[in-house]
Amino acid sequence: MTAIGRAWGNLTVTGRVLVPLLFLVLVVAPVATVLIALFVGPWVLDVLASNLGIVRFVVAITGVLLFTIPAAFVIIYMEMKVIARMNLRIGPDRVGPYGSLMSVVHGLKFLSKEDFTPTGADVPVFTLAPVAVFLATVMTFLVVPFGPGLVGQDLNIGLLYLFAVGGMNVVGLLMAGWASFNKYSLLGGLRAAAQAVSYEIPLTLSVVGLVLLAGTLSVYQIGAAQAGWFTDWFVFRQPLGALIFFIAGTAEANRSPLDMTEADQEIVAGFATEYSGMRFAFFFFAEYVNVFVMSALIVTLFFGAWNAPFPFPDVALALDPGSLGIGLVILLAAAPVALTLLFAAPFYLARSSTPAWQALLLGFITFNVVAVGGLLGAAYLGLDWFAGLAWFMVKTFIFVFVFVWMRGTFPRVRIDQLMGFAWKWLLPASLLNLFVTAAAILVVDALKAG
Amino acid sequence: MDRSLRKRLEARFADRLTGPVRQRHDQTEIRIRPADVPEVMRELHDDPALGFEILADLAGVDTGTHMQVVYHLWSAGTPDWLRVVADGMPRDDPRIPTLTGLWPGAEWMERETYDMFGIIFEGNRDLRRIYMPPDYTSFPLRKDFYLPDDAARSPGGGVRHMEQTHTPTQATPSVVRRTAKA
Amino acid sequence: MTTTTPHQHPSADDPRVLLDDQVGAFEAVPPYPPRTEREAEFYSLGDGEMFLNMGPQHPSTHGVLRVVLKIDGERVVDLDPVLGYLHRGVEKLCETSDFHHIISQLDPLEYISSLFMEWAPVMAFEQLLDVQVPRRAEYIRVLTGELNRVASHALFQGWMALDLGGLTPILYSFIERDEIVEMLAAITGQRMLFNYFRVGGVNGDLNHEFMSRLGDWMSRATAQNQANIELLNDNEIFVRRMRGIGRLDRETALRMGTTGPNIRAAGVPFDIRRAHPYSVYPELEFDIPTRGHDGGGDSLDRYLLRLDEVKQSLRIIDQCLHNMPDGPVMARLPRLLRPRPGRAWAAVEAPRGLFGTYVISDGTDQPFRMKIHDPSFVNLQLVGLLMKGNLIADTMAVMASLDPVMGGIDK
Repeated sequence: MTAIGRAWGNLTVTGRVLVPLLFLVLVVAPVATVLIALFVGPWVLDVLASNLGIVRFVVAITGVLLFTIPAAFVIIYMEMKVIARMNLRIGPDRVGPYGSLMSVVHGLKFLSKEDFTPTGADVPVFTLAPVAVFLATVMTFLVVPFGPGLVGQDLNIGLLYLFAVGGMNVVGLLMAGWASFNKYSLLGGLRAAAQAVSYEIPLTLSVVGLVLLAGTLSVYQIGAAQAGWFTDWFVFRQPLGALIFFIAGTAEANRSPLDMTEADQEIVAGFATEYSGMRFAFFFFAEYVNVFVMSALIVTLFFGAWNAPFPFPDVALALDPGSLGIGLVILLAAAPVALTLLFAAPFYLARSSTPAWQALLLGFITFNVVAVGGLLGAAYLGLDWFAGLAWFMVKTFIFVFVFVWMRGTFPRVRIDQLMGFAWKWLLPASLLNLFVTAAAILVVDALKAG
Repeated sequence: MDRSLRKRLEARFADRLTGPVRQRHDQTEIRIRPADVPEVMRELHDDPALGFEILADLAGVDTGTHMQVVYHLWSAGTPDWLRVVADGMPRDDPRIPTLTGLWPGAEWMERETYDMFGIIFEGNRDLRRIYMPPDYTSFPLRKDFYLPDDAARSPGGGVRHMEQTHTPTQATPSVVRRTAKA
Repeated sequence: MTTTTPHQHPSADDPRVLLDDQVGAFEAVPPYPPRTEREAEFYSLGDGEMFLNMGPQHPSTHGVLRVVLKIDGERVVDLDPVLGYLHRGVEKLCETSDFHHIISQLDPLEYISSLFMEWAPVMAFEQLLDVQVPRRAEYIRVLTGELNRVASHALFQGWMALDLGGLTPILYSFIERDEIVEMLAAITGQRMLFNYFRVGGVNGDLNHEFMSRLGDWMSRATAQNQANIELLNDNEIFVRRMRGIGRLDRETALRMGTTGPNIRAAGVPFDIRRAHPYSVYPELEFDIPTRGHDGGGDSLDRYLLRLDEVKQSLRIIDQCLHNMPDGPVMARLPRLLRPRPGRAWAAVEAPRGLFGTYVISDGTDQPFRMKIHDPSFVNLQLVGLLMKGNLIADTMAVMASLDPVMGGIDK
């Protein structure tokens, strides 16, 4: 006892934290795992199996939450870099290769900033506003299908859910604007409210025609309905609807040139004027996640979701690694060595001055590149969800790029022009789209029947 | 130098000129009394033969003994700049009628002149300080205002603080004078 | 979150006292009684109105201008510009500097077109001293001045787009400005505050680096100008933001003392270079572009007019290069300048309008009084007139199209 006591006394503060933690991880955790597996395991599995829906939901929401941060990071980096190129600048190039870790550093910077609450602010509302905005944005992810089978929750009223939850965003903005005790914030919040109310209507109406065609409100089903050649995508049957959805979506995501709520030349930073630190980061992330969601929705609804633009020739890749038995282990052990040597040989032979270790290193790198490429290729061919995810991401990031592109090139419209455009042009156009679609369906059905 | 302009001005304003019409380079200069300014300016502006449409500048001058307000005018009818000097305002209560009725754009120039010299432009609707803070009490471009580091020119040879500059009490009108905040 | 605990020692100097008074009350009324009727009228709120304090730290007030807006929703009812945040007292400084020193005091007035800030006082001093400037020096002044005008207008274009929310054009216009500024730095040694004109001439002749850079730039300047015009002129959003906003009619422009591109955009061809020619401008061929329709001009006219002016400046630069005479660039003058007592007034056409200097000399080596007339100062008065009844976003379009520079306004 005394020996342990003395050792404990010699530890620094860090040590006193780390040693119990190590004990927990190395001793308690394995023992507990074994015990649970032996005695409680079957029962837990039974419970999980009988509540598969809830488990699936929890896993999905966790995955979605975890996905938002890297997605936002990538978009922020992309925006910095793309706009820099459009401005004939270089953009971030110090942190990480080509500055790619810049947005991570941004995040760390936000963490280390003072969390400031202005005098006179309505503290509970002020604190909750960023959370409300961020949650409303993240929750829309739940019904977005990333690939065949890769959907958080396939709600049969998915589209309705999307617009309902996406519209909640504005409550957070209004809260932030009102609670900040700042007139610029107030103007920004009210602009957000007016803009969201106006653009929600054409946004919702523009997809009704599409719903008539697809015959379902489930986002997943709409995506699945566009399989086949790219001519089956809904954009070719609903071009006007797609255009209206894109414009109204830009306004909903508060992106330039319709970013009235944070027009920095007019109202400084709008609703975010008084926010700092992590609370501002929530707004910041929410904005970019919103961009991703909008792009994903455009892709899902109008541009064929996860489907490839043309049906890929079906290659039957009848790989069954399990059938190799012990041979698989030998293969896994021997292949890296053999292939490294194989790829190193040309480097070594090509130039006599290349030392052996350098050739080996190059060979190893080449092997890794080839192996990863091969694995991805195999996954693309063999796994439906992987191919779907790849196409979905490619298409989504093309639209993210379009949003960034618009920010780099367009001036901002004025608030009255913005509202006038929504009510005078987008709303009648979306109604027209709806009527024409409905009439066309009736006519086609009548022709088929007759 | 436009000789004909000189003749026209002499013929027209003979009774109101307080000195001879002077000409040098491309400038013609007349001197009038401050009270005559609106009337003379209106004639200079409205008369098609003169047609001084543009007020190029309005400057205050502290000559050390009295105050002046100097106007520069431009007309398409003459190659000269016309300089109108409203001369002979006492330093302790300089007052002159405003020009904002004729040229509304003179408002800020008059505010600036008031701010720097304490010249009161009677009739200017917004005669308050424009550069200096509202609680400032002195008029920096007057000749009795010394910069702290301008010791050599100071009469006592020493440094006087800005805020202790001699300010004629009458130069600050009651509207403008700020009493301590309750 | 007002605290109800009274302070132990309430004192007027304690900032917390003021803060606590302000918290919970949306009042921007100044803490002193109104000084004029106009101020009293402005600082009393009507039904549904509120004050919005814009500046001195705001993304688009072009420096440290502060404008108190009285707004009703998004609509600006009235406004009160508050100046003086950049006031250096340069006129007082001039009274204690000698004639050579003054030139460098005036450079930072309009810091993006500094050569014009030197030109007018130098001309006034030359009148006082009766100096004849060599013709080559005059040509160099015109050449460098017009280059500076192009640089200034290039920057205006970028700012205009930036204030309307376009991120990119400002960086494109900086390319052009940078080329010119580097060119001028080759002969003046400075990029911004050139300090190049002297009483009786200029400081140093054109050198090889300047000429090669200039030739390089001239070969593509016209194309660059055309590209700048095409960059935004067909942009629907841009045009709609400016068309019909901030209409300034002819009569008002004259009465408000407006000069420069702002008055020419209202249809008045008033340009000192032709209206009261100075230097060698009478020998050069160029037009005075005017814009405006129905007896007035809006923000878009003011924007387009500056692009037109760049074309004329390029013509002038071209002629200067072809007609440039040989000879000295400085008149022979004593080192210490002591003019006879007298008065002089000189005005030049700066990129923002009439820049004038009124100098009174009492026979010493320092002026007795030096008055600086800055065009931005007079033009900025128009904001009160043009912004009333517009939206908050339009204040940016109007202010940017008037192109004020706070260094000159606050002197």
